[in-house]
Amino acid sequence: MEVTTDRSSSKDAELELELELYTIPAQSSWFVWDDIHEIERREFTEFFSESSITRTPKVYKEYRDFIINKYREDTSRRLTFTSIRKYLIGDVNLLRKVFLFLEKWGLINFLQKSDDVVVEESEAKIEQGTTPAGIRVTSTPNSTRPVIAPPLVEERAEPALTFPPLTSYSDVFKKPALVCGQPCPSHSAAFYEHNNKSNLCDKCFKNGGENNSAELIGSSAAAAWTEEETLLLLESVLKHGHDWELVAQSVSTKSRLDCISKLIELPFGDFLMGSASGRLRSSVPTEDEHLSSPSNLVQQMKTDGQEHKETETREENEEDEPPAKRKRAAMMSDGDSYLMKQVAAMACKVGPSVTTAAAKAAIAALCDEASCPKDIFETTSDYKNSAADRSVGDKDTSDIEEQQEEKEGLEDLPVGLRMRVSVATALGAAAAHAKVLADQEEREMELLVASVIDQQLKKMKSKLKFLEELEVIMDAEEKVMEGAKETIIQERISVLQSAFSGGITKRWDHTCVK
Amino acid sequence: MKASGSTNWKGPVKFRMPTAENLVPIRLDIQFEGQRYKDAFTWNPSDADNEIAIFARRTVKDLKLPPAFVTQITQSIQSQLADFRAYEGQDMYTGEKIIPIKLDLRVNHTLIKDQFLWDLNNFESDPEEFARTLCKDLGVEDPEVGPAVTFAIREQLYEIAVQSVSSARESRLSKKSRRGSDYGSASKASGLSMDLVKLFSFKSSVVRKRKDLDVYEPMVDLLTNEEVDALEAREERHAR
Repeated sequence: MEVTTDRSSSKDAELELELELYTIPAQSSWFVWDDIHEIERREFTEFFSESSITRTPKVYKEYRDFIINKYREDTSRRLTFTSIRKYLIGDVNLLRKVFLFLEKWGLINFLQKSDDVVVEESEAKIEQGTTPAGIRVTSTPNSTRPVIAPPLVEERAEPALTFPPLTSYSDVFKKPALVCGQPCPSHSAAFYEHNNKSNLCDKCFKNGGENNSAELIGSSAAAAWTEEETLLLLESVLKHGHDWELVAQSVSTKSRLDCISKLIELPFGDFLMGSASGRLRSSVPTEDEHLSSPSNLVQQMKTDGQEHKETETREENEEDEPPAKRKRAAMMSDGDSYLMKQVAAMACKVGPSVTTAAAKAAIAALCDEASCPKDIFETTSDYKNSAADRSVGDKDTSDIEEQQEEKEGLEDLPVGLRMRVSVATALGAAAAHAKVLADQEEREMELLVASVIDQQLKKMKSKLKFLEELEVIMDAEEKVMEGAKETIIQERISVLQSAFSGGITKRWDHTCVK
Repeated sequence: MKASGSTNWKGPVKFRMPTAENLVPIRLDIQFEGQRYKDAFTWNPSDADNEIAIFARRTVKDLKLPPAFVTQITQSIQSQLADFRAYEGQDMYTGEKIIPIKLDLRVNHTLIKDQFLWDLNNFESDPEEFARTLCKDLGVEDPEVGPAVTFAIREQLYEIAVQSVSSARESRLSKKSRRGSDYGSASKASGLSMDLVKLFSFKSSVVRKRKDLDVYEPMVDLLTNEEVDALEAREERHAR
């Protein structure tokens, strides 16, 4: 104790205050310098049983005091057993036991992460700040100096052993959270909110990798994306596909991760990302926030499709630059296959009931828009019919003009509607095909069931036959048995006859005849 | 007479390794047809005997040694175990015996020099734990170092345990041993233990003096490839 006060008095006032305070967990408040507590006595019976000269209370107290003082010389570093063992004479196993005891009770290494538990414990502490259950142990208890909290050390706010990790946090976050449990003033101000409602800064989220299935709500990364950059990005993505390095190179001002995140945010960007980003499709800014159930996912996808069309029309109206239009047109031709593939993949993954529900919902949604496509289709079909008629008959200039007008009229319809129409037809065609397949399947099933029933009947029949044959055999046997019985009776009668003719005694009579 | 009335003379216990787990250190050094197999590990004497053959076969298979090694390995292990078991029936003294254990070994690229005190009377001692702590605290990355350290400790403990058996036998023969605390006699026998009375008396401190600190400090060296080769060559020369 004297040592610490000497040391502290030789330093600055501030440092002095800090040095005097050692944090130990609340449950160790029984510890006093001057005495050996009951807990220690119980733990180290070998010291107190007076069974040996090497283990006495004095020795124990010396070990203990030395170790604690050694730790408090520099609380910032973690005291290892090996570093102090050279200082103390005695059985190393015993010393180790004392060391572990002190560490367990937090009397030493309290503010240090212990290596064994670093993976779990350090993740658990999101909040930093004062150690919750710590108390201040001053070396001069009667000091009148005010108690000042120890300086907040960001990375080492976790206690060594005492607190269990918050399971929800630790379940969700593995390594990335290590960086991000703390507010990151150095990182950009944008935050991504996870559905567990903890904050990660975007850098750490990205570093965590695209494996995170976290949902992104909120503003985009780093700097704003200008139109040119967006265009460049889209073009390069089309060109290079999944090769993000090349994409990043083309869009020179943005990093790879920025590109990816921007792409995700663009309404149709996820189409470009292809099947690899199946989960990331959810990132289209929609009102839906809960993607836990697959049905929601499918609906989400459907709403994606809808919104996608809507945004298309919107963008169309906003008069986007030609490349964007071109982009969209090109994408639509690809989009179909992607779309179909996505639908197929999802339908495979989820159960049949979910798929039916999703299909019904999709049909309902499509029917809402049915009016427009219907008109278009009708005019188209009319057009076709009329064209067919007219091609047979004579062609008037007026007819041709009419045709031309109709054609133009057709083309006058906004591109967006045509898009919707074509998508609707594609989906309709797929639906019809599916129905055909389903009917086929049903018929096959019926066939199989019928054959199964057939087989069962055959089995029953053969069993019945078998039983009948058995019965026949039994009858035959019965006859034989009857015959045998008769002969036996005959023989008996003949025996009795001969017995009677031979003459028998009265007594014998009874027994025989019976 | 007993000193200070604080010693308790425990009756002699049956021979065993004075550690929490009764494991025997086994050393193998077999040369055959130009191939040399050197190994050191701990064996649990309560394992079934057929385990030895299984182990030998597995080792030969893993290391691709000629099959003649199987019998040699088995024999070597068995004879060492037999020695151990021979001692098992006998008594050994269990007095206060704190002995210094020295480590001076090279494992692949790591050189370890260390010295520390070990209480032979502490049947809860654990060389494995000690080795693990040592490697962890010193940041030793080579996973083979821990077991090597463990083995070295066990080997020394084994030797001393054997010595204590013989000393027990001696003292049974001689009548003088009845007097005096066992640590005295045991220390005479081993010639290694410390003068415990002096050390742990009321006057002296348990904190080691500065001049002794270097001796008891662990030292870990990482060697380069050339140094390893040089050391190996020297060892070969010594062996011959």
